[in-house]
Amino acid sequence: MKNLVRTLRTERNLAQGQLADAMGVSRQTINSIENERYTPSLPLAMALARYFGVTVEEMFDDQGC
Amino acid sequence: MTKGASPAITRSRWFMTAFCFGLGLVLLAVNWLGGQLVGGLVSLAILTAFGLLISLLTPHSETVRGLTTRRDERFAQIDLRATAVAGLAVLGTLMVAWMVAVAQGRNGHPYDWLVATSGFTYLAAVAFFRWRG
Repeated sequence: MKNLVRTLRTERNLAQGQLADAMGVSRQTINSIENERYTPSLPLAMALARYFGVTVEEMFDDQGC
Repeated sequence: MTKGASPAITRSRWFMTAFCFGLGLVLLAVNWLGGQLVGGLVSLAILTAFGLLISLLTPHSETVRGLTTRRDERFAQIDLRATAVAGLAVLGTLMVAWMVAVAQGRNGHPYDWLVATSGFTYLAAVAFFRWRG
């Protein structure tokens, strides 16, 4: 699923590992989300959106998947 | 996000070594009871070596770490899918073995019971998860 995770992460100068630690998941999981290979669970999607201060709809584009 | 993650004990790097060693001891005991001490010792050695390898790889491989000590939702999903694929492979093998046995004029034991167990377990699991899911 298309998403803004990489954009928002790099805007904040965060490494994938740092975001992964903040979310309690592995770096590979963050990498897979950014590369649209993995669609996160609703709790993780909400946590990511909350972390970056955006809505889930703003962060994830289900129309473009 | 870490819901469904491994319990604390399995997050230890050496859990797999201890688990494999324990399993090896069980196999050793079973083989010993069956009068095949050498086979049991070989099983123990192989399992211990495998567990040790996994534990040694854990700090160096994110994949091994994800599947053993630090399982998140994606690795839990990978594990679930891999388990399903393995189950299908076993079920397919059992069905082929059962059909071959029947075609050879044998009664199909024990494959028929194993296939039936798989089928009933699947149906029970569907019913359970339909209720609980």
